Amino acid sequence: MSDLGAGKANGLNITSGPVEANLEEGGTDLMKAEVLKQVGRSIPMHDAVAKATGRIRYTGDIDMPGMLHAKLLLSPVPHARIRRIETAEALAVPGVWDVFTYENTPSVLYNSQVWFAGQEASKDERLFPDTVRFIGDRVAAVVAADKETAARALSLIKVEYEELPAVFEAEEALRPDAPPIHPGGSPFFSKELVVGDVRDIWPRAKAIAEDRVETPKIHHAALETHVCLAFPDHNGKITLVTPCQILYSVRLIVATVLGLPFNKVRVLKAPMGGSFGGKQEVILEPLAAFFSRETGRPVKIELNRQETILTTRTRTKTIGYVRTALAEDGKILGRTVRTVVDTGAYTSNGPIIGVAMGKKVFRLYRIENQLYRTESVHTNTPVAGAARGYGSPQIHAITEINLDHVARILGLDPVELRLKNLVHPGDFDLSGGPPLGQARILECVREGAKAFGWAERRKRPQGDGRFRRGAGMACATHSNGYFAAYPDFTTMTLRMLEDGSLILNSGIQDLGCGTVTSMKQIIAEVLEVDPERIEAPEGDTETSPWDAGSQASRVTHVAGACAFEAAVKVKEMLRRETAKILECSPQEVRLESERIWSAAKPEENFSYGEMVSLIQSRNRSEVIVTSTYRAQDNPGSYGANFVEVEVDTLTGLVRVLEVLAAHDVGRAINPGFVKGQIYGGIQMGIGYALSEDIAIDPNNGRAKGDRFSRYHLINAPDMPPVKVILIEKGGDLGPFGAKSIGEIATCPTAPAVVNAVNHALGTNLTSLPLTPDKIIQALHYSRH
Amino acid sequence: MELRLRVNGIAHTLEVEPQARLLDVLREQLGLTGAKEGCGEGECGACTVLMDGLAVNSCLVLAHQARGRSITTVEGLAAAGGLDRLQQAFIDQGAIQCGYCTPGMLMSAKALLLAEPDPTEEQIRLALAGNLCRCTGYVNIIKAIREAAAGEVALKDPAAGVRVGKAAEGERGQELPQGVLLGNEAGMAESAPAAGKVLSGEGEAV
Repeated sequence: MSDLGAGKANGLNITSGPVEANLEEGGTDLMKAEVLKQVGRSIPMHDAVAKATGRIRYTGDIDMPGMLHAKLLLSPVPHARIRRIETAEALAVPGVWDVFTYENTPSVLYNSQVWFAGQEASKDERLFPDTVRFIGDRVAAVVAADKETAARALSLIKVEYEELPAVFEAEEALRPDAPPIHPGGSPFFSKELVVGDVRDIWPRAKAIAEDRVETPKIHHAALETHVCLAFPDHNGKITLVTPCQILYSVRLIVATVLGLPFNKVRVLKAPMGGSFGGKQEVILEPLAAFFSRETGRPVKIELNRQETILTTRTRTKTIGYVRTALAEDGKILGRTVRTVVDTGAYTSNGPIIGVAMGKKVFRLYRIENQLYRTESVHTNTPVAGAARGYGSPQIHAITEINLDHVARILGLDPVELRLKNLVHPGDFDLSGGPPLGQARILECVREGAKAFGWAERRKRPQGDGRFRRGAGMACATHSNGYFAAYPDFTTMTLRMLEDGSLILNSGIQDLGCGTVTSMKQIIAEVLEVDPERIEAPEGDTETSPWDAGSQASRVTHVAGACAFEAAVKVKEMLRRETAKILECSPQEVRLESERIWSAAKPEENFSYGEMVSLIQSRNRSEVIVTSTYRAQDNPGSYGANFVEVEVDTLTGLVRVLEVLAAHDVGRAINPGFVKGQIYGGIQMGIGYALSEDIAIDPNNGRAKGDRFSRYHLINAPDMPPVKVILIEKGGDLGPFGAKSIGEIATCPTAPAVVNAVNHALGTNLTSLPLTPDKIIQALHYSRH
Repeated sequence: MELRLRVNGIAHTLEVEPQARLLDVLREQLGLTGAKEGCGEGECGACTVLMDGLAVNSCLVLAHQARGRSITTVEGLAAAGGLDRLQQAFIDQGAIQCGYCTPGMLMSAKALLLAEPDPTEEQIRLALAGNLCRCTGYVNIIKAIREAAAGEVALKDPAAGVRVGKAAEGERGQELPQGVLLGNEAGMAESAPAAGKVLSGEGEAV
């Protein structure tokens, strides 16, 4: 077994049949999929009962003795210098503890998306700026004994604004005369990625399609609004309870802003009521920490929906220009892709996300000549940041809609076109990124098309009456961690207790996707125990080892590999220590179903608990291992969606009739969780395609979609039936070959829906979301 | 102002501000934090509770509108220590991810099953129209409600062809939570659409 612990062998060749390699007799043959006992089971999430009974305590449900409530005053103007803030009246309200503005809070600048010490980023945020830059920017906060008092006092704060010229549209921000939002103006970042040479492909092309695709600024729409609780102790330590994605990012930024040593900031991961990237960045935590230090009390900040939409994070609005050249045989000769990324009023991850988009365009199709160029701009609109897919939904909408367009010009079936051009397992990233690994997108498309009945549906007449039908599809790729981009490693400590139960101590953050249970299943598989015997609490920065966070689709692939290695090492240690007790060699020690014995004396067998107790009393050892896993690969996850839609040409409403999703996930640790991610990803993708838009008014910077009555998520009646195909052939370095699913799940959906609508109507709609008015307008133009 | 009401079968006499919402009284005065505030405008349904057996958005109901009424929250859905068939089905079918919409989903589903024990999939979807979920795409939630309904129907009519297992027998003697007025059941089915969520006693659908 020891080879499995080395990292590079773990998970390799899992389903390519029985593997003879180095498996000791009696050990679990982890290489054979057919003998897996815990991995591959759809067991319930660890806290499902607590969630079903209402017993689980989310951060907003927590009350503490003496706890105060903070409420934020948000800017009603899009761009202004604050001339004066009058807080005396608010301070005089009984029950008000303090009022905070830029005048009495730290002016330390930071960037809310920085997650490791030493990471370079443009720092342009502070707790309260003296110049507000969008409607929703933070102006002040009241901290009071209760929410009502805080709200009442907030209305008594008087602010005098000196309004400045503002810009709301990404492409207007690029104009030389655009008002600067930060020194240097826009674009504040640009980057070019090139493979081959696109200059001479155009004359050789049989078909060229050029499109401008626009993707909207959307709200993550986790049902739990943003919330954070902070409390000080008697020794100057601040503890934060927060539903976050990256504990160590919270610690870093809070410590930086408050000027505290890292060990005086303790961050506890609270149950997550949904995030989707929205709670990845550090937004409320430094505020709550500062307020609690200043008041000496626990302070909770809980935003309402409108505040969450306006003042937290959004997905970037992105404008893409794509030009693709096809050869006569349907091969892609080359492509140019240019994106303008609107990151809103502060930089956040603005530079990173445009590059993240660019990397994807080299990892889905074999394109020998390709140029990608991105520019990031500031606008006086809500701040964009991490959002499920981290640029992938944007770039795949841009390129996959264009690909259908060029297929149409050449008269090629979209599936045929893709099968001719998609990457193959073992392909390299021509732009120099990490190898694609077991990239099984061809299988996704072939099997998906077959199961969906693509050929028949595509041939079916669209109809010429009020209702038109169409079929569309799209493909996508996404990452598995940060390997080759940022430091990506995880440390975990696993120990077996005197009753044979186990505790995994790690810095994991479960976002409600099943991380805790997945870790348990991985460990349970290796150690031959019931997953219920393992506790895997979420992270606590004071006691848990460092983790790079629940981001970048890294958790199952990278943190899961760490759990795997830790379990393998605990097993080795258990063998070694047991061998001393049973006076045999470690190789002779057998483990199965929580029993342990020596091959020579099978009748003399012990429970794990009995053996751990013996090891403690006789060997004076604890069965405990700390293991660091450093990511060594970053294969692509792949998926294809097939969609049928019906369009009402009278109202412009689109109904998605059915979706089939085929995903190359390597190995589903818990297939129920994997499918759950896909169902939710599709729902989010349909909303992206059809209805979701914060919709900034280009005249005044106001968000039209600033509440759920004006921001339309797909609800149960609108959600189509979904079929899922999982391709599980392993082969990459994740635990048991597992690859990511949470983000890729939503990437192919929106372009597939748009392509289906264009198929139904014979249009070339490229501006998301396809709201009824856009569809009616397109039909109107096509008639005249 | 004094407010008397029953919550999860327990009678309460509370001092409540005239403008207080039912949601705040449940969460802050009674410590029943199962119902959540996701939007504050009756769009997301995370705050759904039962009022006399009908699903309401407790963020839109004034606490004093609940005077003399019987409220059931997710905490009162099953007898202490046990699980309602719906809760069990949600757990078994993977209908719970982040869990924040779950209490509201369960209460809307409960109201549906009280009015229509054997709903069609269409009825289930409509009953959930006012409950948003961002994690699950509703797929497993709908599956879970179907499963729970199939179990309920089998209990009432074992001839319906669904095998009544050991767990189901164990629950046979279990009464509905006290907050749910079974006496209203028949009348409710007639007066309110199965999918209807009412704003208040006036029966205004929202």
